[in-house]
Amino acid sequence: MTSSRATGDPPLRLVFGSLLRADFLVFLQHRRALIISLVLPVFVLISTSGTKATDKFGGAEFVIGLAIAYGLLSTSLIGYGLTVARDREKGVFQRLRVTPAPTWTIMTSRLAMQAVANLIIAVVVVIIGGQIHHISPSAGQYALVLLVSILAGAVFLSIAQAMVGLVKSADSVQAIARVLFAVLILLGLLGQSGALGTFWSSVARWTPVGAVMTLFAGVLNLHAWYSRDTLALLACLGYIVVFGGIGIRWFQWDAR
Amino acid sequence: MVLAEAVVWAPVTESVQVVRGGQARAYIIAEEHEDGSLLLAPEPVSSARRTVPAEDGRAAAVPEVAGILQVRDLTVTYGPKRAVDAVSFEIRRGEIFGLLGPNGAGKTSTLSAIEGLVKPQFGTILLDDIDSRRHPNQARARMGVQLQATSFQSELKISQIVRLYAGLYGVELSGQQILDGLRVIGLEGEAHKPFKQLSGGQQQRLSLYIAVVHDPALLLLDEPTAGLDPQSRRQLWSRIEHIRQEGGSILLTTHSMEEAQAVCDRVAIIDNGTLLTTETPHDLIEKHKNDPRVREVARGEVTLEDVFIGLTGSEIRD
Repeated sequence: MTSSRATGDPPLRLVFGSLLRADFLVFLQHRRALIISLVLPVFVLISTSGTKATDKFGGAEFVIGLAIAYGLLSTSLIGYGLTVARDREKGVFQRLRVTPAPTWTIMTSRLAMQAVANLIIAVVVVIIGGQIHHISPSAGQYALVLLVSILAGAVFLSIAQAMVGLVKSADSVQAIARVLFAVLILLGLLGQSGALGTFWSSVARWTPVGAVMTLFAGVLNLHAWYSRDTLALLACLGYIVVFGGIGIRWFQWDAR
Repeated sequence: MVLAEAVVWAPVTESVQVVRGGQARAYIIAEEHEDGSLLLAPEPVSSARRTVPAEDGRAAAVPEVAGILQVRDLTVTYGPKRAVDAVSFEIRRGEIFGLLGPNGAGKTSTLSAIEGLVKPQFGTILLDDIDSRRHPNQARARMGVQLQATSFQSELKISQIVRLYAGLYGVELSGQQILDGLRVIGLEGEAHKPFKQLSGGQQQRLSLYIAVVHDPALLLLDEPTAGLDPQSRRQLWSRIEHIRQEGGSILLTTHSMEEAQAVCDRVAIIDNGTLLTTETPHDLIEKHKNDPRVREVARGEVTLEDVFIGLTGSEIRD
Protein backbone atom coordinates (compact mmCIF):
# COMPACT_ATOMS: atom_id res chain seq x y z
CA MET A 1 0.00 0.00 0.00
CA THR A 2 1.03 3.58 -0.49
CA SER A 3 1.73 5.76 2.48
CA SER A 4 -0.99 8.39 2.07
CA ARG A 5 -4.69 7.65 2.21
CA ALA A 6 -6.70 8.43 -0.95
CA THR A 7 -8.92 11.43 -0.32
CA GLY A 8 -9.95 13.02 -3.59
CA ASP A 9 -10.58 12.56 -7.30
CA PRO A 10 -7.43 11.37 -9.07
CA PRO A 11 -6.13 13.79 -11.75
CA LEU A 12 -7.88 13.25 -15.08
CA ARG A 13 -4.54 13.42 -16.88
CA LEU A 14 -3.25 10.46 -14.92
CA VAL A 15 -6.48 8.48 -15.28
CA PHE A 16 -6.76 9.02 -19.02
CA GLY A 17 -3.03 8.50 -19.53
CA SER A 18 -3.18 5.18 -17.71
CA LEU A 19 -6.12 4.00 -19.80
CA LEU A 20 -4.48 5.11 -23.05
CA ARG A 21 -1.23 3.37 -22.14
CA ALA A 22 -3.04 0.14 -21.31
CA ASP A 23 -5.18 0.28 -24.46
CA PHE A 24 -2.09 0.99 -26.54
CA LEU A 25 -0.40 -2.10 -25.08
CA VAL A 26 -3.48 -4.14 -25.96
CA PHE A 27 -3.42 -2.60 -29.43
CA LEU A 28 0.19 -3.71 -29.89
CA GLN A 29 -0.76 -7.23 -28.83
CA HIS A 30 -3.43 -7.18 -31.55
CA ARG A 31 -1.10 -6.05 -34.34
CA ARG A 32 -1.53 -9.38 -36.11
CA ALA A 33 -5.28 -8.76 -36.29
CA LEU A 34 -4.53 -5.37 -37.86
CA ILE A 35 -2.38 -7.03 -40.52
CA ILE A 36 -5.14 -9.57 -41.21
CA SER A 37 -7.59 -6.67 -41.59
CA LEU A 38 -5.46 -5.51 -44.51
CA VAL A 39 -5.72 -8.80 -46.42
CA LEU A 40 -9.16 -8.16 -47.92
CA PRO A 41 -8.45 -4.55 -48.97
CA VAL A 42 -5.20 -5.60 -50.65
CA PHE A 43 -7.01 -8.47 -52.38
CA VAL A 44 -9.61 -5.99 -53.70
CA LEU A 45 -6.85 -3.67 -54.94
CA ILE A 46 -5.04 -6.46 -56.76
CA SER A 47 -8.11 -8.17 -58.21
CA THR A 48 -9.36 -4.89 -59.70
CA SER A 49 -6.02 -3.82 -61.12
CA GLY A 50 -7.14 -4.27 -64.73
CA THR A 51 -8.64 -1.24 -66.49
CA LYS A 52 -11.91 -3.02 -67.18
CA ALA A 53 -12.39 -4.08 -63.58
CA THR A 54 -11.46 -0.63 -62.30
CA ASP A 55 -13.97 1.02 -64.62
CA LYS A 56 -16.72 -1.26 -63.35
CA PHE A 57 -16.36 0.38 -59.92
CA GLY A 58 -16.25 3.90 -61.32
CA GLY A 59 -12.50 4.39 -61.41
CA ALA A 60 -9.34 3.83 -59.39
CA GLU A 61 -10.41 6.28 -56.64
CA PHE A 62 -13.59 4.27 -56.03
CA VAL A 63 -11.66 1.01 -55.89
CA ILE A 64 -9.27 2.44 -53.31
CA GLY A 65 -12.25 3.87 -51.41
CA LEU A 66 -13.90 0.46 -51.42
CA ALA A 67 -10.71 -1.20 -50.19
CA ILE A 68 -10.34 1.29 -47.34
CA ALA A 69 -14.00 0.82 -46.43
CA TYR A 70 -13.48 -2.95 -46.17
CA GLY A 71 -10.41 -2.52 -44.00
CA LEU A 72 -12.22 -0.15 -41.64
CA LEU A 73 -15.27 -2.40 -41.61
CA SER A 74 -13.15 -5.38 -40.63
CA THR A 75 -11.19 -3.71 -37.85
CA SER A 76 -14.14 -1.75 -36.43
CA LEU A 77 -17.07 -4.11 -36.73
CA ILE A 78 -15.29 -7.32 -35.87
CA GLY A 79 -12.22 -6.05 -33.99
CA TYR A 80 -13.77 -3.36 -31.78
CA GLY A 81 -17.22 -4.94 -31.47
CA LEU A 82 -15.95 -8.32 -30.41
CA THR A 83 -13.34 -6.98 -28.00
CA VAL A 84 -15.93 -4.84 -26.23
CA ALA A 85 -18.43 -7.73 -26.07
CA ARG A 86 -15.83 -10.15 -24.69
CA ASP A 87 -14.41 -7.72 -22.14
CA ARG A 88 -17.91 -6.96 -20.96
CA GLU A 89 -18.71 -10.65 -20.60
CA LYS A 90 -15.49 -11.28 -18.65
CA GLY A 91 -16.23 -8.41 -16.26
CA VAL A 92 -13.32 -6.21 -17.33
CA PHE A 93 -15.59 -3.16 -17.57
CA GLN A 94 -17.12 -3.80 -14.16
CA ARG A 95 -13.64 -3.84 -12.63
CA LEU A 96 -12.80 -0.57 -14.36
CA ARG A 97 -16.11 0.98 -13.31
CA VAL A 98 -15.46 0.54 -9.59
CA THR A 99 -12.45 2.84 -9.93
CA PRO A 100 -12.87 6.64 -9.85
CA ALA A 101 -12.25 6.79 -13.63
CA PRO A 102 -15.21 8.51 -15.33
CA THR A 103 -16.92 6.03 -17.66
CA TRP A 104 -16.46 8.29 -20.67
CA THR A 105 -12.68 8.00 -20.27
CA ILE A 106 -12.86 4.20 -20.47
CA MET A 107 -14.68 4.25 -23.82
CA THR A 108 -12.89 7.28 -25.25
CA SER A 109 -9.53 5.64 -24.66
CA ARG A 110 -10.63 2.52 -26.53
CA LEU A 111 -12.10 4.54 -29.38
CA ALA A 112 -8.91 6.58 -29.63
CA MET A 113 -6.85 3.42 -30.15
CA GLN A 114 -9.36 2.20 -32.70
CA ALA A 115 -9.02 5.51 -34.53
CA VAL A 116 -5.25 4.96 -34.68
CA ALA A 117 -5.84 1.51 -36.19
CA ASN A 118 -8.19 3.04 -38.76
CA LEU A 119 -5.64 5.69 -39.73
CA ILE A 120 -2.97 3.05 -40.24
CA ILE A 121 -5.26 0.98 -42.45
CA ALA A 122 -6.32 3.98 -44.53
CA VAL A 123 -2.75 5.16 -45.15
CA VAL A 124 -1.44 1.69 -46.00
CA VAL A 125 -4.31 1.02 -48.42
CA VAL A 126 -3.86 4.39 -50.14
CA ILE A 127 -0.12 3.76 -50.54
CA ILE A 128 -0.60 0.24 -51.92
CA GLY A 129 -3.63 1.31 -54.00
CA GLY A 130 -1.70 4.24 -55.42
CA GLN A 131 1.07 1.87 -56.55
CA ILE A 132 -1.26 -0.69 -58.09
CA HIS A 133 -3.69 1.78 -59.71
CA HIS A 134 -1.07 4.40 -60.63
CA ILE A 135 -2.39 7.26 -58.53
CA SER A 136 -0.14 9.75 -56.79
CA PRO A 137 -2.14 11.57 -54.11
CA SER A 138 -0.77 14.92 -52.98
CA ALA A 139 0.16 15.65 -49.38
CA GLY A 140 -3.14 17.50 -49.05
CA GLN A 141 -5.05 14.49 -50.33
CA TYR A 142 -3.27 12.24 -47.84
CA ALA A 143 -4.33 14.63 -45.11
CA LEU A 144 -7.89 14.49 -46.36
CA VAL A 145 -7.74 10.69 -46.50
CA LEU A 146 -6.71 10.68 -42.83
CA LEU A 147 -9.55 13.02 -41.97
CA VAL A 148 -12.10 10.97 -43.88
CA SER A 149 -10.77 7.74 -42.41
CA ILE A 150 -11.60 9.09 -38.94
CA LEU A 151 -15.11 9.90 -40.14
CA ALA A 152 -15.47 6.58 -41.97
CA GLY A 153 -14.08 4.70 -38.99
CA ALA A 154 -16.67 6.45 -36.84
CA VAL A 155 -19.42 5.12 -39.14
CA PHE A 156 -18.37 1.51 -38.63
CA LEU A 157 -17.55 2.02 -34.95
CA SER A 158 -21.02 3.44 -34.38
CA ILE A 159 -22.50 0.34 -36.07
CA ALA A 160 -20.33 -1.85 -33.82
CA GLN A 161 -21.40 0.18 -30.78
CA ALA A 162 -25.07 -0.24 -31.71
CA MET A 163 -24.48 -3.97 -32.10
CA VAL A 164 -22.91 -4.36 -28.62
CA GLY A 165 -25.59 -2.04 -27.25
CA LEU A 166 -28.44 -4.18 -28.52
CA VAL A 167 -26.83 -7.62 -28.10
CA LYS A 168 -25.34 -8.73 -24.79
CA SER A 169 -23.81 -12.12 -25.50
CA ALA A 170 -20.32 -12.10 -27.00
CA ASP A 171 -21.13 -15.20 -29.06
CA SER A 172 -24.20 -13.53 -30.54
CA VAL A 173 -22.21 -10.37 -31.25
CA GLN A 174 -19.62 -12.48 -33.06
CA ALA A 175 -22.27 -14.22 -35.17
CA ILE A 176 -24.10 -11.00 -36.04
CA ALA A 177 -20.85 -9.18 -36.82
CA ARG A 178 -19.85 -11.90 -39.29
CA VAL A 179 -23.21 -11.88 -41.04
CA LEU A 180 -23.25 -8.07 -41.21
CA PHE A 181 -19.67 -8.07 -42.47
CA ALA A 182 -20.50 -10.54 -45.24
CA VAL A 183 -23.68 -8.68 -46.26
CA LEU A 184 -21.95 -5.30 -46.42
CA ILE A 185 -19.02 -6.73 -48.37
CA LEU A 186 -21.17 -8.51 -50.90
CA LEU A 187 -23.45 -5.52 -51.28
CA GLY A 188 -20.39 -3.35 -51.82
CA LEU A 189 -18.68 -5.64 -54.33
CA LEU A 190 -21.67 -6.91 -56.28
CA GLY A 191 -23.86 -3.87 -55.88
CA GLN A 192 -21.27 -1.26 -56.77
CA SER A 193 -20.02 -3.27 -59.75
CA GLY A 194 -23.58 -3.37 -61.12
CA ALA A 195 -23.60 -7.18 -61.12
CA LEU A 196 -26.94 -7.20 -59.25
CA GLY A 197 -28.66 -4.60 -61.44
CA THR A 198 -29.39 -0.88 -61.12
CA PHE A 199 -31.69 -1.20 -58.07
CA TRP A 200 -29.05 -2.91 -55.94
CA SER A 201 -26.46 -0.57 -57.34
CA SER A 202 -28.47 2.38 -55.91
CA VAL A 203 -28.98 0.57 -52.62
CA ALA A 204 -25.27 -0.26 -52.38
CA ARG A 205 -24.33 3.38 -52.96
CA TRP A 206 -26.18 4.43 -49.79
CA THR A 207 -25.08 1.61 -47.53
CA PRO A 208 -22.37 2.53 -45.01
CA VAL A 209 -19.74 0.89 -47.26
CA GLY A 210 -21.05 2.69 -50.34
CA ALA A 211 -21.19 6.10 -48.66
CA VAL A 212 -17.69 5.70 -47.24
CA MET A 213 -16.33 4.50 -50.57
CA THR A 214 -17.86 7.52 -52.37
CA LEU A 215 -16.37 9.84 -49.79
CA PHE A 216 -12.86 8.41 -50.19
CA ALA A 217 -13.18 8.59 -53.97
CA GLY A 218 -14.21 12.22 -53.59
CA VAL A 219 -11.13 13.24 -51.63
CA LEU A 220 -8.82 11.26 -53.91
CA ASN A 221 -10.19 13.12 -56.89
CA LEU A 222 -10.87 16.62 -55.61
CA HIS A 223 -11.18 18.07 -59.12
CA ALA A 224 -14.49 16.29 -59.42
CA TRP A 225 -16.35 16.83 -56.13
CA TYR A 226 -19.99 16.16 -56.99
CA SER A 227 -23.20 16.64 -55.08
CA ARG A 228 -23.22 12.84 -54.53
CA ASP A 229 -20.02 13.26 -52.50
CA THR A 230 -21.74 15.83 -50.31
CA LEU A 231 -24.71 13.50 -49.92
CA ALA A 232 -22.34 10.65 -49.01
CA LEU A 233 -20.82 12.89 -46.33
CA LEU A 234 -24.29 13.63 -44.95
CA ALA A 235 -25.17 9.92 -45.07
CA CYS A 236 -22.03 9.10 -43.06
CA LEU A 237 -22.92 11.72 -40.45
CA GLY A 238 -26.45 10.34 -40.32
CA TYR A 239 -25.16 6.80 -39.73
CA ILE A 240 -22.90 8.03 -36.93
CA VAL A 241 -25.72 9.90 -35.20
CA VAL A 242 -28.29 7.09 -35.52
CA PHE A 243 -26.11 4.07 -34.73
CA GLY A 244 -23.97 5.93 -32.22
CA GLY A 245 -27.13 7.11 -30.47
CA ILE A 246 -28.49 3.57 -30.31
CA GLY A 247 -25.15 2.24 -29.09
CA ILE A 248 -24.83 4.79 -26.31
CA ARG A 249 -28.50 4.68 -25.29
CA TRP A 250 -28.71 0.91 -24.93
CA PHE A 251 -25.16 -0.03 -24.02
CA GLN A 252 -24.84 -1.91 -20.75
CA TRP A 253 -21.55 -2.34 -18.96
CA ASP A 254 -22.54 -5.67 -17.50
CA ALA A 255 -23.43 -8.67 -19.66
CA ARG A 256 -25.69 -10.23 -16.99
CA MET B 1 -2.75 19.01 11.05
CA VAL B 2 -6.10 18.45 12.71
CA LEU B 3 -7.53 21.52 14.44
CA ALA B 4 -9.54 20.51 17.48
CA GLU B 5 -12.26 22.42 19.30
CA ALA B 6 -11.47 20.46 22.43
CA VAL B 7 -9.26 17.53 23.27
CA VAL B 8 -11.45 15.32 25.43
CA TRP B 9 -8.88 12.77 26.41
CA ALA B 10 -5.17 12.59 25.85
CA PRO B 11 -3.37 9.70 27.47
CA VAL B 12 0.38 9.38 27.73
CA THR B 13 0.24 6.85 24.89
CA GLU B 14 -0.25 7.91 21.26
CA SER B 15 -4.06 8.20 21.20
CA VAL B 16 -6.38 11.20 21.62
CA GLN B 17 -10.09 11.91 21.37
CA VAL B 18 -10.80 15.07 19.38
CA VAL B 19 -14.09 16.94 19.06
CA ARG B 20 -14.61 18.58 15.67
CA GLY B 21 -17.92 19.96 14.47
CA GLY B 22 -19.59 18.54 17.55
CA GLN B 23 -18.37 15.00 16.77
CA ALA B 24 -15.72 13.11 18.69
CA ARG B 25 -13.19 11.03 16.78
CA ALA B 26 -10.24 8.94 17.84
CA TYR B 27 -6.84 9.91 16.46
CA ILE B 28 -3.35 8.63 16.89
CA ILE B 29 -0.37 10.95 17.16
CA ALA B 30 1.40 10.49 13.86
CA GLU B 31 4.11 13.10 14.47
CA GLU B 32 5.15 15.19 17.44
CA HIS B 33 6.82 18.44 16.42
CA GLU B 34 9.44 20.43 18.32
CA ASP B 35 7.08 23.37 18.81
CA GLY B 36 4.72 21.08 20.69
CA SER B 37 2.16 20.71 17.90
CA LEU B 38 0.89 17.26 16.98
CA LEU B 39 0.04 15.72 13.63
CA LEU B 40 -2.95 13.44 14.12
CA ALA B 41 -4.19 10.53 12.02
CA PRO B 42 -7.53 8.67 12.45
CA GLU B 43 -7.19 5.71 14.78
CA PRO B 44 -8.49 2.24 13.92
CA VAL B 45 -11.65 1.57 15.90
CA SER B 46 -10.37 -1.74 17.23
CA SER B 47 -7.87 0.10 19.38
CA ALA B 48 -9.92 3.28 19.86
CA ARG B 49 -11.23 3.97 23.29
CA ARG B 50 -15.01 4.09 23.46
CA THR B 51 -15.05 5.54 26.99
CA VAL B 52 -13.19 8.34 28.70
CA PRO B 53 -11.58 7.59 32.02
CA ALA B 54 -12.69 10.39 34.35
CA GLU B 55 -10.49 11.72 37.11
CA ASP B 56 -12.17 9.47 39.67
CA GLY B 57 -11.37 6.46 37.52
CA ARG B 58 -14.96 5.78 36.37
CA ALA B 59 -15.71 5.49 32.71
CA ALA B 60 -17.58 8.39 31.12
CA ALA B 61 -19.29 8.08 27.76
CA VAL B 62 -18.00 10.01 24.74
CA PRO B 63 -19.97 10.68 21.55
CA GLU B 64 -19.83 7.75 19.08
CA VAL B 65 -17.09 7.97 16.43
CA ALA B 66 -18.67 8.59 12.98
CA GLY B 67 -18.66 5.47 10.84
CA ILE B 68 -16.62 5.21 7.67
CA LEU B 69 -19.70 3.88 5.86
CA GLN B 70 -23.29 4.67 6.65
CA VAL B 71 -26.01 2.91 4.68
CA ARG B 72 -29.57 4.05 5.32
CA ASP B 73 -32.77 2.50 3.92
CA LEU B 74 -30.95 1.09 0.91
CA THR B 75 -33.39 -0.41 -1.56
CA VAL B 76 -32.34 -2.07 -4.81
CA THR B 77 -34.86 -3.49 -7.26
CA TYR B 78 -34.43 -5.50 -10.45
CA GLY B 79 -37.75 -5.11 -12.25
CA PRO B 80 -40.43 -6.36 -9.86
CA LYS B 81 -37.87 -8.12 -7.62
CA ARG B 82 -36.75 -6.25 -4.51
CA ALA B 83 -33.20 -7.54 -4.04
CA VAL B 84 -32.36 -5.21 -1.14
CA ASP B 85 -35.18 -3.88 1.02
CA ALA B 86 -34.56 -0.83 3.23
CA VAL B 87 -31.22 -2.09 4.54
CA SER B 88 -29.41 0.13 7.06
CA PHE B 89 -26.08 -0.43 8.74
CA GLU B 90 -22.90 1.39 9.66
CA ILE B 91 -19.27 0.37 9.49
CA ARG B 92 -16.98 1.88 12.09
CA ARG B 93 -13.49 3.09 11.35
CA GLY B 94 -10.95 0.31 11.51
CA GLU B 95 -13.64 -2.34 11.67
CA ILE B 96 -13.94 -5.59 9.73
CA PHE B 97 -17.63 -5.99 9.01
CA GLY B 98 -19.04 -9.19 7.53
CA LEU B 99 -22.22 -9.31 5.48
CA LEU B 100 -23.57 -12.84 5.62
CA GLY B 101 -26.47 -14.41 3.80
CA PRO B 102 -27.49 -17.36 1.68
CA ASN B 103 -27.32 -17.27 -2.14
CA GLY B 104 -29.56 -14.54 -3.55
CA ALA B 105 -29.99 -12.89 -0.15
CA GLY B 106 -28.89 -9.46 -1.43
CA LYS B 107 -25.23 -9.36 -0.35
CA THR B 108 -23.73 -8.66 -3.76
CA SER B 109 -26.55 -6.25 -4.64
CA THR B 110 -25.82 -4.30 -1.45
CA LEU B 111 -22.13 -4.22 -2.29
CA SER B 112 -22.83 -3.27 -5.91
CA ALA B 113 -24.95 -0.35 -4.75
CA ILE B 114 -22.15 0.86 -2.47
CA GLU B 115 -19.66 0.47 -5.33
CA GLY B 116 -21.96 2.39 -7.66
CA LEU B 117 -22.44 -0.51 -10.06
CA VAL B 118 -26.20 -0.57 -9.55
CA LYS B 119 -28.47 2.38 -8.93
CA PRO B 120 -30.48 2.04 -5.72
CA GLN B 121 -34.14 2.90 -5.86
CA PHE B 122 -34.01 4.54 -2.45
CA GLY B 123 -31.60 5.14 0.36
CA THR B 124 -28.44 7.00 1.19
CA ILE B 125 -24.85 5.79 1.20
CA LEU B 126 -22.30 7.97 2.97
CA LEU B 127 -18.69 6.93 2.58
CA ASP B 128 -16.33 8.97 4.73
CA ASP B 129 -19.14 11.56 4.88
CA ILE B 130 -19.39 11.70 1.07
CA ASP B 131 -22.76 10.97 -0.50
CA SER B 132 -21.75 8.25 -2.93
CA ARG B 133 -24.91 8.63 -5.00
CA ARG B 134 -24.25 12.32 -5.63
CA HIS B 135 -20.46 12.09 -5.87
CA PRO B 136 -19.76 8.54 -7.05
CA ASN B 137 -16.22 9.15 -8.27
CA GLN B 138 -15.17 10.88 -5.06
CA ALA B 139 -16.59 7.98 -3.10
CA ARG B 140 -14.89 5.42 -5.36
CA ALA B 141 -11.57 7.18 -4.84
CA ARG B 142 -11.87 6.32 -1.14
CA MET B 143 -12.80 2.69 -1.59
CA GLY B 144 -10.91 -0.36 -2.74
CA VAL B 145 -12.88 -3.13 -4.37
CA GLN B 146 -12.35 -6.81 -4.93
CA LEU B 147 -15.19 -8.17 -7.01
CA GLN B 148 -16.49 -11.72 -6.74
CA ALA B 149 -15.04 -12.61 -10.15
CA THR B 150 -12.15 -10.38 -11.03
CA SER B 151 -11.10 -10.02 -14.61
CA PHE B 152 -8.47 -7.82 -16.08
CA GLN B 153 -7.60 -7.28 -19.75
CA SER B 154 -6.17 -10.64 -20.79
CA GLU B 155 -3.58 -9.03 -23.06
CA LEU B 156 -1.93 -7.13 -20.19
CA LYS B 157 0.87 -8.43 -18.01
CA ILE B 158 0.67 -8.30 -14.21
CA SER B 159 2.98 -5.29 -13.88
CA GLN B 160 1.00 -3.44 -16.56
CA ILE B 161 -2.26 -4.21 -14.76
CA VAL B 162 -0.86 -2.84 -11.49
CA ARG B 163 0.36 0.32 -13.23
CA LEU B 164 -3.02 0.81 -14.91
CA TYR B 165 -5.10 0.48 -11.75
CA ALA B 166 -2.71 2.52 -9.65
CA GLY B 167 -3.03 5.29 -12.25
CA LEU B 168 -6.82 5.07 -12.20
CA TYR B 169 -6.66 5.77 -8.45
CA GLY B 170 -4.21 8.63 -8.95
CA VAL B 171 -1.10 6.75 -7.81
CA GLU B 172 1.97 6.94 -10.05
CA LEU B 173 4.25 3.94 -9.56
CA SER B 174 7.70 3.43 -11.04
CA GLY B 175 8.71 0.04 -12.42
CA GLN B 176 10.75 -0.63 -9.28
CA GLN B 177 7.85 0.30 -6.99
CA ILE B 178 5.62 -2.12 -8.88
CA LEU B 179 8.18 -4.90 -8.50
CA ASP B 180 8.59 -4.09 -4.80
CA GLY B 181 4.84 -4.28 -4.33
CA LEU B 182 4.62 -7.57 -6.18
CA ARG B 183 7.48 -8.90 -4.04
CA VAL B 184 5.46 -8.19 -0.90
CA ILE B 185 2.65 -10.43 -2.16
CA GLY B 186 5.04 -13.03 -3.53
CA LEU B 187 4.38 -12.32 -7.20
CA GLU B 188 7.64 -10.67 -8.23
CA GLY B 189 8.46 -13.58 -10.51
CA GLU B 190 5.08 -13.33 -12.22
CA ALA B 191 5.39 -9.64 -13.16
CA HIS B 192 5.59 -10.42 -16.87
CA LYS B 193 2.87 -13.05 -16.98
CA PRO B 194 -0.73 -12.42 -18.00
CA PHE B 195 -3.37 -12.57 -15.24
CA LYS B 196 -4.94 -15.79 -16.52
CA GLN B 197 -1.67 -17.69 -16.02
CA LEU B 198 -1.79 -17.11 -12.25
CA SER B 199 -3.23 -19.68 -9.86
CA GLY B 200 -6.45 -18.91 -7.99
CA GLY B 201 -4.55 -17.89 -4.85
CA GLN B 202 -2.16 -15.69 -6.83
CA GLN B 203 -5.06 -14.04 -8.62
CA GLN B 204 -6.73 -13.27 -5.29
CA ARG B 205 -3.49 -11.83 -3.88
CA LEU B 206 -3.01 -9.61 -6.89
CA SER B 207 -6.62 -8.58 -6.87
CA LEU B 208 -6.39 -7.59 -3.20
CA TYR B 209 -3.12 -5.76 -3.80
CA ILE B 210 -4.72 -3.73 -6.59
CA ALA B 211 -7.73 -3.01 -4.37
CA VAL B 212 -5.51 -1.40 -1.74
CA VAL B 213 -2.90 0.18 -4.02
CA HIS B 214 -4.28 3.67 -3.20
CA ASP B 215 -4.62 2.96 0.53
CA PRO B 216 -8.42 3.25 0.61
CA ALA B 217 -10.43 4.21 3.67
CA LEU B 218 -12.84 1.34 3.02
CA LEU B 219 -12.13 -1.99 1.38
CA LEU B 220 -15.01 -3.98 -0.12
CA LEU B 221 -14.39 -7.68 -0.56
CA ASP B 222 -17.01 -9.85 -2.23
CA GLU B 223 -16.41 -13.47 -1.17
CA PRO B 224 -12.64 -13.01 -1.13
CA THR B 225 -11.75 -16.56 -0.11
CA ALA B 226 -14.17 -18.42 -2.39
CA GLY B 227 -12.33 -21.28 -4.10
CA LEU B 228 -9.08 -20.82 -2.18
CA ASP B 229 -7.14 -23.61 -0.48
CA PRO B 230 -6.71 -23.36 3.33
CA GLN B 231 -3.17 -21.95 3.05
CA SER B 232 -4.22 -19.19 0.68
CA ARG B 233 -7.28 -18.50 2.81
CA ARG B 234 -5.23 -18.09 6.00
CA GLN B 235 -2.76 -15.88 4.17
CA LEU B 236 -5.59 -13.72 2.92
CA TRP B 237 -7.03 -13.42 6.43
CA SER B 238 -3.70 -12.21 7.75
CA ARG B 239 -3.47 -9.67 4.93
CA ILE B 240 -6.96 -8.43 5.76
CA GLU B 241 -5.97 -8.13 9.42
CA HIS B 242 -2.82 -6.26 8.38
CA ILE B 243 -4.89 -3.79 6.35
CA ARG B 244 -7.08 -3.20 9.39
CA GLN B 245 -4.03 -2.64 11.56
CA GLU B 246 -2.94 0.06 9.13
CA GLY B 247 -6.23 1.86 9.73
CA GLY B 248 -8.37 0.51 6.90
CA SER B 249 -11.99 -0.52 7.34
CA ILE B 250 -13.28 -3.61 5.58
CA LEU B 251 -16.68 -4.78 4.42
CA LEU B 252 -16.69 -8.37 3.25
CA THR B 253 -19.29 -10.86 2.17
CA THR B 254 -18.72 -14.53 2.76
CA HIS B 255 -20.44 -17.89 2.90
CA SER B 256 -17.84 -19.15 5.35
CA MET B 257 -19.01 -18.83 8.93
CA GLU B 258 -15.54 -19.92 10.06
CA GLU B 259 -14.11 -16.94 8.22
CA ALA B 260 -16.71 -14.55 9.62
CA GLN B 261 -16.04 -15.76 13.15
CA ALA B 262 -12.28 -15.60 12.75
CA VAL B 263 -11.96 -12.29 10.95
CA CYS B 264 -14.98 -10.05 11.52
CA ASP B 265 -15.50 -7.64 14.40
CA ARG B 266 -19.21 -7.52 13.64
CA VAL B 267 -21.45 -9.38 11.23
CA ALA B 268 -24.83 -8.63 9.69
CA ILE B 269 -27.11 -11.38 8.43
CA ILE B 270 -29.19 -10.54 5.39
CA ASP B 271 -31.89 -12.72 3.87
CA ASN B 272 -34.48 -12.01 1.17
CA GLY B 273 -33.06 -8.50 0.92
CA THR B 274 -33.77 -7.70 4.58
CA LEU B 275 -31.19 -7.24 7.32
CA LEU B 276 -32.05 -9.65 10.12
CA THR B 277 -29.44 -8.74 12.72
CA THR B 278 -26.12 -6.98 13.30
CA GLU B 279 -23.89 -8.11 16.18
CA THR B 280 -20.41 -9.25 17.03
CA PRO B 281 -20.07 -12.98 16.24
CA HIS B 282 -19.84 -13.68 19.97
CA ASP B 283 -22.92 -11.61 20.86
CA LEU B 284 -24.85 -13.14 17.97
CA ILE B 285 -24.23 -16.62 19.32
CA GLU B 286 -25.01 -15.57 22.88
CA LYS B 287 -28.20 -13.81 21.83
CA HIS B 288 -29.57 -16.68 19.76
CA LYS B 289 -28.13 -19.79 21.34
CA ASN B 290 -31.44 -20.57 23.06
CA ASP B 291 -33.59 -19.77 20.04
CA PRO B 292 -35.53 -22.97 19.21
CA ARG B 293 -34.68 -22.58 15.48
CA VAL B 294 -30.99 -22.50 16.39
CA ARG B 295 -31.19 -25.34 18.91
CA GLU B 296 -32.89 -27.46 16.28
CA VAL B 297 -29.92 -27.28 13.91
CA ALA B 298 -27.11 -27.16 16.51
CA ARG B 299 -25.00 -30.26 17.09
CA GLY B 300 -23.33 -29.67 20.42
CA GLU B 301 -22.02 -26.21 21.20
CA VAL B 302 -23.83 -23.50 19.21
CA THR B 303 -21.70 -22.00 16.45
CA LEU B 304 -22.15 -18.99 14.20
CA GLU B 305 -23.17 -21.37 11.43
CA ASP B 306 -25.96 -22.79 13.63
CA VAL B 307 -27.24 -19.28 14.30
CA PHE B 308 -27.01 -18.43 10.61
CA ILE B 309 -28.96 -21.53 9.52
CA GLY B 310 -31.41 -21.09 12.38
CA LEU B 311 -32.20 -17.53 11.31
CA THR B 312 -32.20 -18.02 7.54
CA GLY B 313 -33.66 -21.53 7.30
CA SER B 314 -32.33 -24.86 6.11
CA GLU B 315 -33.71 -24.90 2.58
CA ILE B 316 -31.16 -24.76 -0.24
CA ARG B 317 -31.03 -21.47 -2.17
CA ASP B 318 -29.95 -21.17 -5.78
